[in-house]
Amino acid sequence: MEIAVLVKPVPDAESRLRPDPKGLGPDPEGVKWVLAGYDESAVEQALLLKEAAPGTTVRAISYGPVARAEEVLRAALALGCDTATSLEAPPDASTDPVAVARALALALARHPASLVICGKQAGDDEAGIVGPAVAELLGVADVGVATNVRWDGGTMALTLDRSVEGGLEQVRIPLPVVLSLQQAWNDPRTAKLPNILKSRKAHIERIAATEVEAATAPSASTAARRVSFRLPPARTGAQMIDYRTPEEAAEKLVRILREEAKVFP
Amino acid sequence: MVDFALTEEQTSLRDMARKFAKGEMAPHAAECDRAGRFPEEIYRKAWELGLMNLNVPTEYGGSGLGLFEQCLIVEELAHACAGMTTSIIANCLALEPILLGGTEEQKRRMLAPFCADYHLASFCLTEPSGGSDAGSLKTRARRDGDSYVLDGEKCFITNAPFASLYTVFATMDPTLRHKGIVAFAVPRETEGVLPGKEEEKMGHRASATSTVRFEGARVPVANRLGAENEGFSIAMRTLDQTRTPIGAMSTGIAQAALDHAAEYSKRRQTFGKPISEHQAIQIKLADMAQALHASRLLTWQAAWTIDRGGRGSLESSMAKCFASDAAMRVADEAIQVFGGYGYMKEYPVEKLLRDAKLAQIYEGSNEIQRIVIARELLERYA
Repeated sequence: MEIAVLVKPVPDAESRLRPDPKGLGPDPEGVKWVLAGYDESAVEQALLLKEAAPGTTVRAISYGPVARAEEVLRAALALGCDTATSLEAPPDASTDPVAVARALALALARHPASLVICGKQAGDDEAGIVGPAVAELLGVADVGVATNVRWDGGTMALTLDRSVEGGLEQVRIPLPVVLSLQQAWNDPRTAKLPNILKSRKAHIERIAATEVEAATAPSASTAARRVSFRLPPARTGAQMIDYRTPEEAAEKLVRILREEAKVFP
Repeated sequence: MVDFALTEEQTSLRDMARKFAKGEMAPHAAECDRAGRFPEEIYRKAWELGLMNLNVPTEYGGSGLGLFEQCLIVEELAHACAGMTTSIIANCLALEPILLGGTEEQKRRMLAPFCADYHLASFCLTEPSGGSDAGSLKTRARRDGDSYVLDGEKCFITNAPFASLYTVFATMDPTLRHKGIVAFAVPRETEGVLPGKEEEKMGHRASATSTVRFEGARVPVANRLGAENEGFSIAMRTLDQTRTPIGAMSTGIAQAALDHAAEYSKRRQTFGKPISEHQAIQIKLADMAQALHASRLLTWQAAWTIDRGGRGSLESSMAKCFASDAAMRVADEAIQVFGGYGYMKEYPVEKLLRDAKLAQIYEGSNEIQRIVIARELLERYA
């Protein structure tokens, strides 16, 4: 059984983002690129399935500038993925999710997997398109917003949960399939120190930008392009309440919640 | 070429330690400090991730890190809680005598359990009547057939109430001073090994400290580390290895103090503006940052020296002494930036001062470090 998990380098939550000089996107200068959020949950899910079915192998696949993609692939290897493939983004590549999906499909054509797992959206641009687009390109089924995926009987089908408005669905689906996973429903493991050391020396297969460009070209001309990027307006400061007694503080707080924040009727 | 940039491997080790410190240690630091609780569940997790036994070579199942990498990790852990860090790195100290003085057979036999499962070890050198004067040990070792019999008492022993192995220094003959000292590895289950009750400490309250009494404890000759007259040298060479991480621990405490103070100074308003805009506070922050930065560089350079095969006595003493004195000053100034709130246990900075204090005392007091520094220095003027 082959599982592929798709991971995207996203800015570390503690990195300070600012627009690049042209205002077209976040300035990559000084940003730390990490495996995070949805993708961490996806890797964890792939590893849980691997542990539940001996003989299963997990390949992590990432698309992006080589250094960034390999950084998150090494993180995935340290967590327990077996192999890794890096797709080198052509210079000035489009960030269009369909182009990214075409690149990922190129790696999946080289390393066919019965199960492809990804986060339901990336932690940075939150497009949420790559998973379904990969399924479309591979011509297989896809399920979104999945949690708690387990083998259904053998390893030919899966059972999973979907949190929907007002309830929890249980879904059975045969392989092959592409699953887009909900974030933070599992508790992703931390890589062990010896595995981190091993991952730094591990081989990562690299698919060169020229090959990637050829595969993504059809969508490049029609791709959506980001035309500007700016930071959200600065948050206004907290409001301090002056008071002499706790009762007075509570009274003032309730008044503000009711009249200004309109939290209470 | 001198290079201050970390390699990708070093960066990923540091990030992993930072994640563990933030996610697993920091949320429990205040509670363990208040209650004096030994959070064994956290230590067990640290072991599972390979954060214990950092100095044990990979061929014995340890992490096999260089001192520089150990220091990167220790600084991150200490940022979250110095007390927990003391307990997490105590195995490095306690197992070092085995690495330095043990035979191949002893290393395989004694180190394997620590790498196969979560176990703690304690380094037993200090005695009630003396710590710095290590040549005047009173714990006696007497040869009796195929074993030695130990009698005496050790104190201020980290992790002792929970340890499964003690590395113990005892004298065959006090009149021989340094030359009479022998090192042993003593399993906890040995009859006559009696750890005392946990001490109430000013800081490092998540770490457990107690006495260990030896009453006719019989230790097989196979558990003697090195020759009969080698104990003192093993103890000193052990401390040469473990002194630098105390510089890293102090740097972690100072970094935490600066982080808290700088963040608070931007939030706290007086005279109509954040106190970070008052020069009085800016001068404090700038001084704190300089002391912190110098601590880190001294620590890195000491570790680098030792990793390159140097003895590093001068460098490691400077790093430990300077960084722990600096951590005291920086923590003190952090409290001052917080004002009255800093004195309250509800805020995190007073703990840093209590934690920093120990770094000036243990693993060789800063007075002893200065003697070492002066001695090394004066030799160069001979």
